[in-house]
Amino acid sequence: MTGNKRTRAGANALLLAVALAAWAAGSGAESLSPSPGPATSAAEGGEDFPVPFNPLPKTITPCRACHGPEKDFKINWTREEALRVHTNIRLHHGGVRVWCLDCHSAEKRNYLLPLSDGKPITFEHSYELCGKCHGTKYRDWRNGIHGKRTGYWNGPKTYHLCTQCHNPHRPRFRPIKPKPPPKRPRSPVEASTKH
Amino acid sequence: MVKSAFLASAAKRLVTGPRTYYLWVGLLLVVALTGLAAYSRQVTTGLVVTGLTSYVPWGLYIGNFTFLVGVAAAAVLLIIPAYIYDFGPIKEIVIIGEALAVSALIMVLLFVTADMGRPDRLWHLVPGWGILNLPSSLLGWDIVVVNGYLFLNLFIPGYLLYKAYQMKEPNKSFIIPFILLSIPWAVSIHTVTAFIYNGLASRPFWNASILAPRFLASAFCSGPALIILVYQIIRKYTKFHVKDEALFTIAEIICYAMAINLFLLGAEFFKELYSDTHHLSPLKYLYNGLHGKHALVPWIRTALCFNLIAFLIFLVPATRKNFKTLNIACVMIIIGIWIEKGMGLIVPGFIPAPLGEVWEYSPSPVEILVTLGIWATGMLVFTMILKIIIPIETGDFTKEGGTSSA
Amino acid sequence: MSRRKDDAASPSGNDQQTGSGTADDPKAAGGLEKKAGVSRRRFLAGTAGLFGMITVSSCSWDEFFQQNFRRMTREEIDQTLARLQAQYKAKYGKDFVVGAEGPIDGTLFGYALDIQRCIGCRRCVYACVEENNQSRDPQIQYIRVLRFRDGNMDFEESDLYYDPDRVPQEGYYYLPVQCQHCENAPCTKVCPVQATWKEPDGIVVVDYNWCIGCRYCMAACPYMGRWFNWADPVIPAEELNTRTHYLGNRPRFRNIVEKCTFCIQRVRKGRYPACVEVCPVGARKFGNLLDPASEVSRILRDKRVFRLKEELNTQPKFYYFFGL
Repeated sequence: MTGNKRTRAGANALLLAVALAAWAAGSGAESLSPSPGPATSAAEGGEDFPVPFNPLPKTITPCRACHGPEKDFKINWTREEALRVHTNIRLHHGGVRVWCLDCHSAEKRNYLLPLSDGKPITFEHSYELCGKCHGTKYRDWRNGIHGKRTGYWNGPKTYHLCTQCHNPHRPRFRPIKPKPPPKRPRSPVEASTKH
Repeated sequence: MVKSAFLASAAKRLVTGPRTYYLWVGLLLVVALTGLAAYSRQVTTGLVVTGLTSYVPWGLYIGNFTFLVGVAAAAVLLIIPAYIYDFGPIKEIVIIGEALAVSALIMVLLFVTADMGRPDRLWHLVPGWGILNLPSSLLGWDIVVVNGYLFLNLFIPGYLLYKAYQMKEPNKSFIIPFILLSIPWAVSIHTVTAFIYNGLASRPFWNASILAPRFLASAFCSGPALIILVYQIIRKYTKFHVKDEALFTIAEIICYAMAINLFLLGAEFFKELYSDTHHLSPLKYLYNGLHGKHALVPWIRTALCFNLIAFLIFLVPATRKNFKTLNIACVMIIIGIWIEKGMGLIVPGFIPAPLGEVWEYSPSPVEILVTLGIWATGMLVFTMILKIIIPIETGDFTKEGGTSSA
Repeated sequence: MSRRKDDAASPSGNDQQTGSGTADDPKAAGGLEKKAGVSRRRFLAGTAGLFGMITVSSCSWDEFFQQNFRRMTREEIDQTLARLQAQYKAKYGKDFVVGAEGPIDGTLFGYALDIQRCIGCRRCVYACVEENNQSRDPQIQYIRVLRFRDGNMDFEESDLYYDPDRVPQEGYYYLPVQCQHCENAPCTKVCPVQATWKEPDGIVVVDYNWCIGCRYCMAACPYMGRWFNWADPVIPAEELNTRTHYLGNRPRFRNIVEKCTFCIQRVRKGRYPACVEVCPVGARKFGNLLDPASEVSRILRDKRVFRLKEELNTQPKFYYFFGL
């Protein structure tokens, strides 16, 4: 009986790992440009601005399939260098300072840690959590200074969420391949510039 | 009736002449037509057939344009005193100076047109029908002053010669105001041309107030030097007489002008070298090369040497009054100024580009052919004008009709 | 395909564009090969004798005598737009929309670029080329991305042609330069025929049908913001953007000057310029300087900004800022 349960848990973990890998790749630095979904409106500090749904794959949300009070997994409060299950995640957020449970709610795995109001934050509103540490960035993002918006400069815009550009586990952008340089102008003179 | 008789007999003079005349005109026609063929290629393909690029959008055409505006201005400035003070030796050569100015102006207009991407839209420049952007565009002003100057230089000698042809005295109170007007006008065409470049803050090489004075000074070298050579040719092949004294006087003027030109160049050198800012780069490129690019260096150094040697020749009375050395100096000065004020002025203005790229320019074969073609056309015009006016001046061609050939 | 730029705002288009930079390159090269045929055909059509400049773009009398855009009446503009649409249809076999939307009241466009965030990937360069129907050969690219060594801002030391495997590179930073849409524009001042001017919303535009091709504006511009069509532009037909504006991205022809218009065909309809939307790091910001709540206005208030060559008093409306 126990063995059976363990197998199922293992299968779930595997499924989750695959899903997470897809997510991490999708929101990682390799594809810097995110894929916003339909815009919704979220009240934020009295200010209305449109926010797209978080592009998390549907498969990722039932974290509670593994993590939860009714499950075997115990909450591990100690920091470890290597993640035993989520091996695809290479955590490098704020150097080594940030650990899983600094963001993820330990008890409610489908949510992120709450703000002072105690209400856990959904993945769709992850930027609220990001703003806890990155206050000035958060302010700039809300003002349209940081981050990216598309749409209308005088109308509806699509905001790109923090995690759409930054992989939350490895927020720093990774270098990408640049588009080709311009052709040097045609000229009878031997083609070369400075240096 | 008199007019048509004048035109008919003038036309007859143009097509008759000695064998050397036919050879000369034939040669010019061939070069001009080759230029026209090259130009038609430029028109149908685009300016891509030139050596110009986004980095250096002006080149050989505009360089020649600038040089020739100087020639046109100087040709008249030189002879104005003759009108005013009735200085004998120079007076007889006044009209030929104006003919030179007219020819130079025609070349000026042709060079500007050749440089234009869309000559079919020339009418856009006509005030009223099109828009001439005055007062803010210096190119707009240049079009005004060059065309006005062309009119003056056609009208004044035209009037005087026509009177001479009719064997009447010109009405002085009628023509003197025009002559007086042409003095500031001659200064203005070259000043405005200098201002075309001078006004561009994006190009530090040109954005120095010394540019306009330098333009005038160098114009007083190249224009008169050309005149000295032309007069010697004319007096060799025609009955038209020019006294040596007149040529030596012109040579003296060149000497002063070159002294001023060299002084202004020195002032420019000092300012740039001593302050040693980024504005030094174009000058560095021109005289010494920049980032390994030095296409203009041999040219400008040649120009500098020629100008210096010619200056010394003009300075020493013995060499100035010896036609052998005088002619060598004249040729040197013409070449020297042509380099200095042509490619040597235009191209470094663009190097380095405002965003730092050092991209060199050299004219393409099409550009060179068109340029030669325009020069040939100018010389053709000049020959034609001389063919008519010299006999009038010498009294061979009047309405009573002498028919000796030029 | 021609609507691609408008669609680029949608997720999938964007993702592909940025996700597969490498895969894009061969495609672009393939596109360029096709243009040879187009060019020959047009060359034959255009070679109509010595003074065939009237035929430069299969010209009609209407086109030849077309007035300066700012002098046209409403009807004349409508006629011109209709004629251009017919002309483009005949030439490219596509239905073009040539608009002439005027400025929106109360707008003065401004641009801000986060110099600390730009990674020099040149996505903006190519998005701009496609949106604005720039010639692929001879190549015209309104945006130049310059690479500087850290600690140096000397243009002569900068590199336009950098081509590493990955950007950003250690020890370098990047400075994209395009038309700065100066309030005190040296280029419009010098034009002998007023073929270029500053619109009421601050965009510096060119009337391609009025430009005489003298290139004085190119000599006057301190930012290399102006480009000349040295030959007939070549654009693969399938890459043409058919949503155009008379003063913006409508197809051009040889021997006239063109430039960045802040994507006038987009921004006059409220949309962001193409370069803003494509930037993978969100370094490019655009908006109304007269609106205190706009992104650019906030940047000018909250951030430290600079403009290129302030000493020339060109008063660009293109700001560089330090976003970090």
